[in-house]
Amino acid sequence: MKVTGERTFDVPQQTVWEVLNDPARLAKTIPGVESFEVHDERNWHAKCSIPLGLGSLKMRIRFEKTEERPPEYASLKAKGDGVGAIMSMQTQFQLSSAGSETRMHWEADVSIAGPVGSMGQRVLQPIVQQQVANVLDALDQQVQEAARAGSGAPQEPAPSIEDA
Amino acid sequence: MTETASPTNAIVVEEQETRPGFIGTSIPRKEDRRLVQGEGVFFDDVKRHGMGFVHFVRSPYAHAKITSVDVSPALELDDVYGTLTGDEVAILTDPFFEMSVPPGSEIKDYALAVGKTRFVGEPVAAVVAATRELARDAAELVEVEYEPLEPLVDARRAQEAEAPILHEDAGSNLVWEGVFDWGDWHSCVAEADRVVRIKELHFDRFSSTPLECSGCLVEFNRGTGQWTMYGNHQMPGIGAIWMAPALRVGTDKLRFVTQDIGGAFGNKICLHPYFVACCLLARKLNRPVQWTEWRTDQHTANAHGNERWFEETEVAVKADGTLLGFKTHAIDDCGAFPRYEPLGCIIWAQVTPGCYRWQNVHVDFTQVATNKSPVSPNRGYSRMQHLWFTERVIDIVANELALDPVEVRKRNYVKSDEFPWTTPNGCVYDSGDYGRCLDIALELVEYDRIGIGSTLDSGTNNFGQSQLLNPDLQFSGNNEVATVKLDIFGEVVVTLGTVPQGQGHETTAAQVVADALGISPDDVTVRPGHDTYWNSHAGFSGTYASQFAVTGLGAVKGAVDQLAGEIRTIAAAVLGGVPEDAVVLEGGFAKLRDNPEAAIPFMGIGAIVNANNAILPEEARHVTLNCRYVYVPPFEVPDKERKYGNLTLTYASQIHVCVLEVDPETGAYEIVDYAAVDDCGNRIHPQIVEGQVHGATAQALGAATHETFTYDEQGNLLTPNFYDYHVPHALDMPPLKTGYIESPSPFTPLGAKGMGEGGGAGIHAVCAALQDALRPVGNPIVYDSCNPPHRVWELISNPEESRGRVAVESR
Repeated sequence: MKVTGERTFDVPQQTVWEVLNDPARLAKTIPGVESFEVHDERNWHAKCSIPLGLGSLKMRIRFEKTEERPPEYASLKAKGDGVGAIMSMQTQFQLSSAGSETRMHWEADVSIAGPVGSMGQRVLQPIVQQQVANVLDALDQQVQEAARAGSGAPQEPAPSIEDA
Repeated sequence: MTETASPTNAIVVEEQETRPGFIGTSIPRKEDRRLVQGEGVFFDDVKRHGMGFVHFVRSPYAHAKITSVDVSPALELDDVYGTLTGDEVAILTDPFFEMSVPPGSEIKDYALAVGKTRFVGEPVAAVVAATRELARDAAELVEVEYEPLEPLVDARRAQEAEAPILHEDAGSNLVWEGVFDWGDWHSCVAEADRVVRIKELHFDRFSSTPLECSGCLVEFNRGTGQWTMYGNHQMPGIGAIWMAPALRVGTDKLRFVTQDIGGAFGNKICLHPYFVACCLLARKLNRPVQWTEWRTDQHTANAHGNERWFEETEVAVKADGTLLGFKTHAIDDCGAFPRYEPLGCIIWAQVTPGCYRWQNVHVDFTQVATNKSPVSPNRGYSRMQHLWFTERVIDIVANELALDPVEVRKRNYVKSDEFPWTTPNGCVYDSGDYGRCLDIALELVEYDRIGIGSTLDSGTNNFGQSQLLNPDLQFSGNNEVATVKLDIFGEVVVTLGTVPQGQGHETTAAQVVADALGISPDDVTVRPGHDTYWNSHAGFSGTYASQFAVTGLGAVKGAVDQLAGEIRTIAAAVLGGVPEDAVVLEGGFAKLRDNPEAAIPFMGIGAIVNANNAILPEEARHVTLNCRYVYVPPFEVPDKERKYGNLTLTYASQIHVCVLEVDPETGAYEIVDYAAVDDCGNRIHPQIVEGQVHGATAQALGAATHETFTYDEQGNLLTPNFYDYHVPHALDMPPLKTGYIESPSPFTPLGAKGMGEGGGAGIHAVCAALQDALRPVGNPIVYDSCNPPHRVWELISNPEESRGRVAVESR
């Protein structure tokens, strides 16, 4: 399932880039995130509980940054395991300056296997799109916070590093 | 105790004496008391001390490489007893026997996925724990790393150069291919006035859904090296042939035990991978293990019916609707592993011309593997697909030539005075009157606009047909066995080689025994279920392929006739050395025909032979009163060169007529009238026959209207449970009118025919009724066997699309 889109942020490109590459800020954009762990600068792990229809889907997601060209391009691979679902995602984004604003073009190829996958693309597509919209809204919020703080660093400490 | 009343109609028995007979009457079924009172014993009712529960870790991917399996997190939990992985299976077992020729024979099929997964739901590992719930939770902790591969979900793409290959060992997705050419297709085209071309027809993937899912409880006896499986495998004979070599033991090490089975329909023939995994676990963990399949797993990964495409069909026909021949290319999708396949590549040929007199047939048949659930025989196995195809061809020809489908059928049906009728490929239709059945069905419905489905239920296989697929296979003929004995207190006890799943074998066997011995079915005990230790069984024993009325009851008849002879021998000897034919059996006594006062009760006969045999003269001492009979149908090995010969012994027929109303706005439709007429020769138990007709109709209506296993492009099954896979319930069933005639089979011991698989008629009757109903809205062509409202709506919205599938050439 491929989803693509564009989003404009009214902050400089460098700020957006820093947010997108700051695990602690990025963690806050993941739907229902419960914990986030940085293994090294390319590998992050998250535990989350993704709202899905009547219930929520608990998943462990492993992110791996596969390519980056600061401050304009990065690609990321994510693989999630949960009860009843295995999610894999390839995503990439491209940043460009448009005056004082920053335009982000992004693409994601999501596949969901397991019993949840059997609900079918027709059912899952709107759910994925809704979750993507939530991620982008959260990202917008992080970008605004970063801009207000004057840098890409988060105001609050990063979420707990340790997993139970 | 319930008493079975003697029927009023009399039958003539061998001795030229009239007395009440039970064959042909609907006595209360012997099984029903325990079943309706909840006292049946199903495999899941069997418990053992310290048993562990098995849960399978299943593949979420349709096609993926397994890069690692880590069971250690599951093993860390308390009360998790152990695990099994594909790597262990690959070391401890050999791949299951494959029936195909290369390349299909090169496929390696194991109890668990080895190295790769090939369908969603394929078992990858197994976890055993103290409770079912714990096993399930622990299975979630097993970490499997997959590397997803491109899946193949469309059988039509399977042989394209860029298609992903499922089985590298085979090097191709081809399982089997062959050409069947009977009569003379080219001459019949030359003789034809019209050639009707049909681009593509599709028989949808669906299956029966037994009330009871699959499963077993397996014990391993370390002292003897034997496994006992309390399970619901419906064909233990073939199960043992698969399992024993894989486990590297003889079949004597495998004991199958069942009492009651909650439906099987063929879906429980291919349980050997699961049973082998359980055998390995029982041995490894030295404890009984129990596996009960979950419903979603049953849908996802047990066994579906074969999906089939018919490409580029041509039909040669005279202007008056006389059918001369047809030609088609069939592509059969058997899912990820062949298992019972490629038998489906020949089974259809039992009914090559359907109910019709077609003499020239050319079928190019290809079977391929895809990343979907494996298939297994499903009620109507392989013939249902082909019969639906022949019926669809008839109706499309009638539609395109503006002929009446009733008239086209009557013109081309095999006529009642033409039986036994030899088909172009050498099958012999034993008896019937299809035209009369159609007339009865038409009389039963109250409308003129109708759809018809005609089907044959070919019963009692000649396994020699397997040699037409693979000349090296050493299977032919068929057999079934029964024992009937008279015990010390006069008990009459019957054991069967069959494995009943609700067909009423105890009842019908008791009817046959009662009539032969002159007693009541109440006085006959037919051992319920099957136990390979205690029941006699032959190589083809089991319950499948509509054959019990012929092979099972043929064996019972043979055995009880022997027993009746032995009882006469003893009575004649004891009653003063009279000739045996002076003795008659009546009311539980052996009596002298001319002096009914001289009588010995069966109890006395049983006691003499078992406990007082010193009184017997020498010539009566061979009698054991324990008679085993193997019924062997009269088959020959088919001609492999011409693919010619008789493949089945009997042909029961069903003609269904359906009337429906379609809402043109939505495509939703409702069946408003329905009739099913059955002819299965002599009916042993009319109510059981009627039940089979109801069941076949329900199966057909589900398959025709809703039941479909739909896969997405990634190979995810989109209908893995009863929420999405809609099986008809009582409220979905139309008022069902039934009728019957009896055309006795000249080839069987009781004139009866197997008749459990008549659903093909109903699937087509719905398709034909839709075709008829949609004629005013652009005359679309119904090309799929399953037509849910959305597909009907598509036909209405764009009739040209389906009309483009059909062309008529005038010559």
